[in-house]
Amino acid sequence: MPPEPPVQAHHFEALGTNCSLFGVGLSRGRLLEGEFWVRRLGARLTRFAPDSELSRFNAEPGGWRDVGPELESLLRESLRAFETSAGLVNVAVLRSMEAVGYTRPIAEARPEATEPQPCPLPALPDVLAVRPGAARLELGAGIDLGGIAKGWMADRLRDSLGPNALANIGGDLSAGGQGPAGAGWPVGIGGATVLLREQGAATSSVRRRRWGEQHHLIDPRTGLPADTGLEEVSVVTASGVEAEVVAKAALLIGPELAPAYCAAHALAWWLSPRP
Amino acid sequence: MRTVILKAGATLLTVAATALSALYVTAHLKNPAAPLQPTVLNASRGAGISAPGGTLTLGPSVQPSTEHPVTSTYAS
Repeated sequence: MPPEPPVQAHHFEALGTNCSLFGVGLSRGRLLEGEFWVRRLGARLTRFAPDSELSRFNAEPGGWRDVGPELESLLRESLRAFETSAGLVNVAVLRSMEAVGYTRPIAEARPEATEPQPCPLPALPDVLAVRPGAARLELGAGIDLGGIAKGWMADRLRDSLGPNALANIGGDLSAGGQGPAGAGWPVGIGGATVLLREQGAATSSVRRRRWGEQHHLIDPRTGLPADTGLEEVSVVTASGVEAEVVAKAALLIGPELAPAYCAAHALAWWLSPRP
Repeated sequence: MRTVILKAGATLLTVAATALSALYVTAHLKNPAAPLQPTVLNASRGAGISAPGGTLTLGPSVQPSTEHPVTSTYAS
């Protein structure tokens, strides 16, 4: 039996979370390039820095603004996510995030508890339009790309790192190739280990990023932190960004419909209800 | 005479078609154990594994493993 090829691993913190890159037959320098790409793009897409590309876009509503190719692609992906999730995944969530006190990275400061009032989010296509090289945001709306950016970045890294690589950007996974032993990349999901082959995986949870009675996962139907009876959903799908969308939509749908929804949209799924 | 033959032929044809249809339907009864279609209606598709805190369901394209995971979907 031939020995398994060496796996190069690289771990780092970016986007306010933990990231890992893995590759078979890749140099450490290649993985470092991946880290720098994540950091550069993260600095442009964060809502926490006032001079980021996303913050400037949010600060200039009401007209067409030039956007870079990455932000344009992500905004298009966000519109697609809104459509495929029947509106449950809505990146026009910034005002609700601010209302619940999530205005700074949790690693820097714990958000202050607030008492937000119900305020359903606007339909994303009503407040966001995208055309080649430009996008338009309506007055009063704000964008937080959140997990969609992480899943999208994991997918881009899977494509760019090499034919046999795995990217984990803050829990959004995207795996390419056959993994170290040829059977797939072994990853943890729902307390078990599964093998990912040309697939993505993600977890949506209200158990993390909590403060007081509130958390970061907003239900667009109310504009308030979600309370559906499900506390955690993990899924495996064809890509990282798709996994992010399906996991979040399933959690927001709730325990009664989530199994059927996951059966239709996921390749594997973990559903954890509220105890 | 020709009209009678035509009427009789049409009647025979109709009776034969009806009889054959009845035989075909009788021989092809609906199978009550047939799988639901589309599969989306069957939420229990895949192998469900109960674990502390929830249920993990694996479709046919995702294989479980006993290997140590290199990473997971959980992040800080």
